[in-house]
Amino acid sequence: MVLEPGLTTKGTLSAPASTLVSCCSQIQIKNEEDRLLVVLPGEAEANLELPWSEIWQELKHLIQRKEQSWQPGTLVTLETQDRLVDTVQLQAVAEMLQEVGLRLTKVRAERRQTAVAAATAGYSVKQRSRTSLTSLAVSEPTEVKELLAEPLYIKNTIRSGVEIRHSGSIIVCGDLNPGGSVIAAGDIFVWGRLRGVAHAGATGNRQSRAMALQMEFTQLRIADKVARAPQKLPDIFVPEVAFIGGTGISLARANDFAKTHTFSARGGMWVRTNS
Amino acid sequence: MSRIIVITSGKGGVGKTTVTSNLGAALARLNRKVALVDADFGLRNLDLLLGLEERVVYTALDVLAGECRLAQALVKHKQLNGLVLLPAAQNRNKESVEPEQMKTIITALAKGYDYIVVDSPAGIELGFRNAIVAAQEALIVTTPEIAAVRDADRVIGLLEAEGVSKINLIVNRVKPHMIEENKMMSVEDVLELLGVPLIGVVPDNEQVIVATNRGEPLVIGHQNSLPGLAFQNIARRIEGEKVPFLDFSVGEGNLLTRLRKIFGG
Repeated sequence: MVLEPGLTTKGTLSAPASTLVSCCSQIQIKNEEDRLLVVLPGEAEANLELPWSEIWQELKHLIQRKEQSWQPGTLVTLETQDRLVDTVQLQAVAEMLQEVGLRLTKVRAERRQTAVAAATAGYSVKQRSRTSLTSLAVSEPTEVKELLAEPLYIKNTIRSGVEIRHSGSIIVCGDLNPGGSVIAAGDIFVWGRLRGVAHAGATGNRQSRAMALQMEFTQLRIADKVARAPQKLPDIFVPEVAFIGGTGISLARANDFAKTHTFSARGGMWVRTNS
Repeated sequence: MSRIIVITSGKGGVGKTTVTSNLGAALARLNRKVALVDADFGLRNLDLLLGLEERVVYTALDVLAGECRLAQALVKHKQLNGLVLLPAAQNRNKESVEPEQMKTIITALAKGYDYIVVDSPAGIELGFRNAIVAAQEALIVTTPEIAAVRDADRVIGLLEAEGVSKINLIVNRVKPHMIEENKMMSVEDVLELLGVPLIGVVPDNEQVIVATNRGEPLVIGHQNSLPGLAFQNIARRIEGEKVPFLDFSVGEGNLLTRLRKIFGG
């Protein structure tokens, strides 16, 4: 059942492929065996050069918002890529991690200065040559079927000005407020009100969906499709799923979506099941 | 143990300084020792609202430069014992102070006072970071307008990231008749979005402007005006008292009953 017909026809504008966003320009936190790996965005990777203060703020947000799935005392590896990080900055990162019970012990760097700074501060350092990684970075986008990262679980509300990017699915246990945005390579689940901007399947996966207990988005994107908020919001909200249907982004009730819709890989869209 | 409270909003012109001066005065009337800190370097006006402009001799910058002792820079209020102001410098800009310096001053002040109330500048740049650096709790001032609420939301996020977890909300300039006619966001709408506890609702009132221009907190001359009462109630709630919310509704179906519904009281 399509609840908002206005949304599928008028509200949808086919956007150029430029709406596809890289999900990896941000800080990533992953599990690596029994350690936690924190990857800072590289300078080449981020189109606009991110100043350290922004990276710092983002890392702080992410560490606090992410579900603390780690054990106290978990060891951390910091991957600085080709970014210059000085001793003071390393120290600040170590202190922040310590506040949430994490211990920075290893630094992986490509820049010599960063490696030297980390070694001076007493971390175990591994310096990778720059060339090997640039070739890796180049080969990455050409990979068609890239594997999604493990889902990112955000344990509270995403407020205005916060942008969460993740190369997997994102689960938000709270609201997504207007002015905030969530960009995922996979699906987006908002266990609350979705009022900001959400972009599911940001690397082009048309099968991705965005789900929320209350759909009141400012703008919703799935793969290369964009939908604006309908002019009139319903009086009663039910949990809904947004997906790519025949005419762009459609909404359907979430409770029976799995029964009523299937994804047609050939058409690159979700179709109603004949039952 | 003194409490360090920052008053902030993100957006300018929503009434941070008015709230700071009135809350300071209201807390002082409850026999507390209160130090107000103007963190709005370059655009200071807390001294004006308190009617203390002509008494300002030294500023926080002079203290930092070692030109005077902290106690010398503090300006005592004319009527209220226990209320002092640490003025900001007017001739410099916000970049002239570093968060660490601000922290030093506020921590030093905290020894002699029950409350340190810091008036933050608008925006989220260095001036804002200076204002929140030492804060243990924050009062967010917003008006029922989407731009103000959006900015308040951003600021709450930043405060949470800085580890300030005790955050309360003051909704300022509420116009009950406009809410009843559905022309203004209601307090509930604001609360629903921001998701932080409400500590006060201040109605829009001409007396606020009159008192501001006269340099006299409402709490002194107009204790019984609605906004005056609202500020005194906020001060009592800060002190931990349970005070019911004021009823400023023009008709029935009023704000109070609606607020009661929210808090189940």
